[in-house]
Amino acid sequence: MKLTNFSLTLIKSKISKSFEKTRQREVLAALTLIGVAVALNMTFGYFAALFALYLSFFKWDYIGPMEFVGLRNFEILFRELVRGLHGAPFFLAPFYTGLRNILLYTAIVVPAQTILAMVLAAFANQKIRGVQFYKVSYFLPAVTCPVIVSLIFIWLFMKNGLINYFIQMVIPGFAPDWINDRNYLLYAISIVAIWGTSGHFMVSFLAAMQSIPRDIYEAAMLDGAGPIRRFIYVTVPMLKPMIVYVVVMGLIGALQMFDLAYVMAGPSGGPGGAGYTMALDIYREAFLKLRPGVAAAKSLFLFTLIFIVTYVFQKRFRVIAAR
Amino acid sequence: MNYYGAISRTSAIIIAVILIVAVGAIAFYTTQKPTPSPTTIIQTQIQTQVVTKTLVQTQTQTRIQTQVFIRFAGWSAGETEMKNYEKIIKMFEEKNPRIKVKYEVITQMFHENIMASFGAGVAPDVFYLDSAWAPIFIEKKALLPISDYVSEDFINQYYSFLLKPFKGADGKLYGLPKDWSMLILFYNKKLFKKAGLTKPPETWEELEQYAKIITDKTGVPGLAIYLGGFNRYMPVALSNGAPEPWFSKPEDASWFDNDVVKKTMEWYINLYLKGKIGREKEGLKPYVVAPQDVGAGWLGDAFGGEKVAMVISGNWMIPFLADQYPNLKFGVDWDIASLPRGSVKRVTMAYTVALAINAKSEHPKEAVEFVKYILGPEGQKKLVVEMGHTLPSIKALAKDSAMWPEHAKSLSFIEKYDHVQIFLWGPKSGELESTISDIMASAMRGEITISKALDSMKQAVQEMLQK
Repeated sequence: MKLTNFSLTLIKSKISKSFEKTRQREVLAALTLIGVAVALNMTFGYFAALFALYLSFFKWDYIGPMEFVGLRNFEILFRELVRGLHGAPFFLAPFYTGLRNILLYTAIVVPAQTILAMVLAAFANQKIRGVQFYKVSYFLPAVTCPVIVSLIFIWLFMKNGLINYFIQMVIPGFAPDWINDRNYLLYAISIVAIWGTSGHFMVSFLAAMQSIPRDIYEAAMLDGAGPIRRFIYVTVPMLKPMIVYVVVMGLIGALQMFDLAYVMAGPSGGPGGAGYTMALDIYREAFLKLRPGVAAAKSLFLFTLIFIVTYVFQKRFRVIAAR
Repeated sequence: MNYYGAISRTSAIIIAVILIVAVGAIAFYTTQKPTPSPTTIIQTQIQTQVVTKTLVQTQTQTRIQTQVFIRFAGWSAGETEMKNYEKIIKMFEEKNPRIKVKYEVITQMFHENIMASFGAGVAPDVFYLDSAWAPIFIEKKALLPISDYVSEDFINQYYSFLLKPFKGADGKLYGLPKDWSMLILFYNKKLFKKAGLTKPPETWEELEQYAKIITDKTGVPGLAIYLGGFNRYMPVALSNGAPEPWFSKPEDASWFDNDVVKKTMEWYINLYLKGKIGREKEGLKPYVVAPQDVGAGWLGDAFGGEKVAMVISGNWMIPFLADQYPNLKFGVDWDIASLPRGSVKRVTMAYTVALAINAKSEHPKEAVEFVKYILGPEGQKKLVVEMGHTLPSIKALAKDSAMWPEHAKSLSFIEKYDHVQIFLWGPKSGELESTISDIMASAMRGEITISKALDSMKQAVQEMLQK
């Protein structure tokens, strides 16, 4: 009896020891693997971000020494905004134009891409033939390089291009010069963005949809709800947490849009600055006007804007989602 | 039982340490100045020696050669150019076995990249320097004064007007031109003949008239210009007597108050406003268009595709036409002429790129050797004359038998010009060109009035140059 007890303790202690060892090893392995990501993130993420904060208080031209200027860079930024509010043209208040454009762009793109992604996901969630093909074709834009996508769309959007060809079938005589007309450029960019991002978010919605319990649908069906009502009253409310996620990610992406504008409107923002964005202005400050300090101040402004918008949105809708 | 299979604890530690050190090293390397470029020492005898930095001093009479690496950065006008550079670098290395050149091609945003590399302390030893960017680099003392290292005779080989942008306030030269291009008038001979015109336009007024005649007679737009383009407008202003532009302080913006500037700017903007927008309102064919109006990407495409009869562009269009439109024959289908005259004189624009040396280069002497070879008669013959992309900056090469006839003809115009204006508006040339061009484009599209455009130009320039 005693012997068995003893051997049991021995075995126990051995097990716990080997468990300890395994645990230690596990911790070590985890730290190693995390360490790589953390180190890279520290260097290229946090260090760069903190350096930008530091830079926003300095005047610098890359070659010479840095000169501390206090809040002068922020003053330049706000002066530009105030001047824009007073109706100065694009070339005298580019940052304001960028801000105005990006807000309009975000207001178009985020709701559109979210709704479209949801609808696409609803289709992809059906048990119909060839659904895999649909899923792949919806997702394809997400894995295509945005620069190449924009270049292709520039062709499609030409005055005598394919898009106008189809539009004229519906509305004869309506053939805007999408890329060269300042009244249409931002919409053209928005369309490309919606097309390019919906597929990506569709996957998120699809995953969320597949976790909605079947019985809710069955109950709704018993109550006589058709497919559209089931979508509106069952699917959409059940997707709320995912909608919050998609909208927040969409807002972050839209507010700092750069690539599409750079390719479709060009680095100077296209006709009348119609395709100018804040990110484009930051880039021009840093590399054309050679004012990295002002560029850093403007980046901080953009960061604050994104932070506030996403924070307010999350705060408001998370509560409803949790209810 | 080993939970992790083959990985033992010690090896896990080793892997962890290696990974952390590697990442740390990368992080450290990216934020730090690199160590001096590697110096290989080739010895013929084993002897005691003292090596300091890159200079090798020997206490015995051993012949010791140090091999020196220099980094050379440029953009590329295509694969042929890159291959030619590689070839010429090889030739240079054969002649100078001590020097090894590392050729780095930066395809996009070249000067921004170079700027950033100066900021990070990893700038190349030798690099291309566009005239418009030169003042920033010179002012910041980022460049080696090359005139301290080469003889006066060597410098006198070059066209003197090409040296101007690279001259510092101290009178020293901080770069030597590797090649250049100038604005020329390209005209389609077939369309001229169809319209009953026998010779290219002589004055700016004739340019507009001819464009109208060609459009009315042939239905093809007579002239294509860019929307905007401060540098394309400049010959019009200067040839009509406007003062040479130089914008370095806010008061210099008063250039836009000059009557000639106002008048010529109005004329230039009206070319498009009347020639395109006005004509279309009347239901007529436009006689002035922008390349995108005729479905072309740039002037070269518009002219090569025979969608317009005349364009004013640079020598860079010549190899493009030869390559993309081989059926269009020079001298038969198209020809070139000097830019039209203004009321006072005849002026053209010149664009040049220099090779400059980093002031902090560890091997200034070797870098100078390399620059001298690339820019010298031998290098330029191979890289510029034979390739036919641009014009040689060495005067003597103009008569070289390998010169393309188109380029040779454009060089023969030099004597006709009273002034050759280099693309350089002051320390902020790039920003200035882009801002003024945006305003010009806006006025050309009719979004703002011409007087509003002129006011905006002045204000924008003033603000740009403050403090």
